[in-house]
Amino acid sequence: MAETITWDLALDIARRDLLDLWRSKMLLFFFILFPILLMSMFGYIYPPIPKSNPNTGTIGTAFPNLPVMLVKMDDGQTANLIAAQFIQISTQQGLFSVSETASYQAARNQLVEGNIKGIVIIPQGFSDALAAGQPATVQVTVDETNPTTASVVQSEISAVFNIIGSSISAQNINNLDGGRVSPTFIMQPISVTNIPLITGVSSSFQFLAPGFMALTVITGSLQGVATAISREKEQGTMDGLLVAPIPHRSIILGKVAAQTVRGLIQGFLILGLSMVLFGVQIYGSPIIMLIVMVLGTASFVGVGIIMTAIAPDQETAQMMTIILQFPMMFISGILFPIDQLPGWMQYIGKAMPLYYAADALRKVIILNASLAAITPDLLILIVYTFLTMTVAIPLFEKAMRR
Amino acid sequence: MTMQESGTVSSLSDQAIETHGLTKRFNNFTAVDHVDLSVRRGEIYGFLGPNGAGKTTAIRMLCTLLTPTSGTASVDGYDIVKQGNDVRKRIGLVSEKMIMYPRLTALENLMFFGRLYRIERNALRKKSEELLEMVKLTPFKDKLVGGFSSGMRQRVNVIRAILHDPYILFLDEPTTGLDPQSTRFVRDLVKELKQRGHTIVLTTHIMEEADELSDRVCIIDHGKIMAVDTPQALKGKYNTGSLLEVFLGLTGRELRDSANERISMRAPMGRM
Repeated sequence: MAETITWDLALDIARRDLLDLWRSKMLLFFFILFPILLMSMFGYIYPPIPKSNPNTGTIGTAFPNLPVMLVKMDDGQTANLIAAQFIQISTQQGLFSVSETASYQAARNQLVEGNIKGIVIIPQGFSDALAAGQPATVQVTVDETNPTTASVVQSEISAVFNIIGSSISAQNINNLDGGRVSPTFIMQPISVTNIPLITGVSSSFQFLAPGFMALTVITGSLQGVATAISREKEQGTMDGLLVAPIPHRSIILGKVAAQTVRGLIQGFLILGLSMVLFGVQIYGSPIIMLIVMVLGTASFVGVGIIMTAIAPDQETAQMMTIILQFPMMFISGILFPIDQLPGWMQYIGKAMPLYYAADALRKVIILNASLAAITPDLLILIVYTFLTMTVAIPLFEKAMRR
Repeated sequence: MTMQESGTVSSLSDQAIETHGLTKRFNNFTAVDHVDLSVRRGEIYGFLGPNGAGKTTAIRMLCTLLTPTSGTASVDGYDIVKQGNDVRKRIGLVSEKMIMYPRLTALENLMFFGRLYRIERNALRKKSEELLEMVKLTPFKDKLVGGFSSGMRQRVNVIRAILHDPYILFLDEPTTGLDPQSTRFVRDLVKELKQRGHTIVLTTHIMEEADELSDRVCIIDHGKIMAVDTPQALKGKYNTGSLLEVFLGLTGRELRDSANERISMRAPMGRM
């Protein structure tokens, strides 16, 4: 009996841990709040970006209705027409809210005060240049104090004038050619169209949600196990478990099971929220998702046990898990593509089981991958489980009866 | 009444507990130093000593919660290192820190810990309710123990340790921090448990308690045994009416302030 796991005892231990969470209403509140907060934060940091399409003249934006000012220094007919077109297109597509002013200095003051994000100047001689068959220039000043908005404003203004320019080109070609050749053939003989990986996916969040889910489940249970065991050691109840004739493995299994259930609850909350709030869709089987997440948790929870064995108290154990999970977030390819990291960091990232769990989960959720398709990922997770547990269990036994 | 719920026959040893050269060192601090103990079956064994004398460390070794550095010990004839599980089946522990979950009710706590001894659920419930009745907590059995007073908690803590009818019961300072009423109740409970056939190892700093309850007392200091005898005999030997004077005579009157680095660094909350 001593060498086998007694499942019913593990179940009792797990049930008690979950009851503890259920009875602590405040803990439960924050337990549920955490994934909601995480989801909302990242959901709005990575907002859905409507696709731009140069062929139909649509421009997508993540920052709608940015305030810009138009300074028209030319009063020619063409200049007026183009200014009107700029305002019309910007307003229609929700890119900018455009106001007009007569002097560049006045507009610049507004920009410096932070009231507007960019200035579009139609300089003197604009109409004359076009009338004379010469290319004309529009000048742009952007609020460079904020690089992100600056580059967005810059590129969106260019995009609007590209549309206006294209229609002028088309007119010019028609005038020269008499309508025999399509103007598009001359201006853009080759175009590029995008076939989406998955039809109907409008949100970049579709690709991020599985990673977040894996991250929450795995690090949640890692930290949970470390905290739960250290807490019991500290408050003395661990003595009650250790002084009973039960195998250590039952204690470990019970703790891990409870924390895995907690992790899964948070994971599925994240998935549910990303479906409701950000239109994420699930294409794969929930059963396979569950298998991936349970294996992902198992692969790493041993590290949590090792930490409790080493840490003298709950606070230290918690600190150790945070130290571990924080870099894991950044180098396991969940938030940022792993390819942009320096080589040695990529190796560390790929040495983390989180990388494989997130990869497998992404394939299942987005690509409807079968169990066979993610077998390599799962095998790696299983190997990790054995490796970490082989170290963790004897270490736990030693530490508990030090 | 049979004390062995597992049905195994007790070993031939006529001692409940026997240790030979039992030693525990933490780095260079020797907490228990070559201790030879023998606790007779059915007695209350008072285990006395100043703070840091090694009482708790010795008890934790006998409960298999600590591995000895050297020496041997057997509990009910089973070796504490090689036959840990057999030892665990036969002992109950009431430690300094109460072993209970504040967010479980009294009954739930008993049911949880009882299940660890594989007591069948219905029998366990019946037993728990009986014991709750014995310590007069039946009206509170469905209340969370987190809201209990120290006295109530200690009563739950004691019956938690005897759910499985352990042959040997370790009580580590069971009345510390309790009001006089609860202290009286716990002391009477200890006597009652002796009547029921449990062998009891009791540590306490209250000499009158040791005097009242113990069949024999063992005074330990700096990890070594200073004296073992009945309270009566010890008082006679030192020609005094109080066990406190015997104790101070043996262990000195100096305050015991020492800080062991290993303990304070690794386990700020208590001895591990």
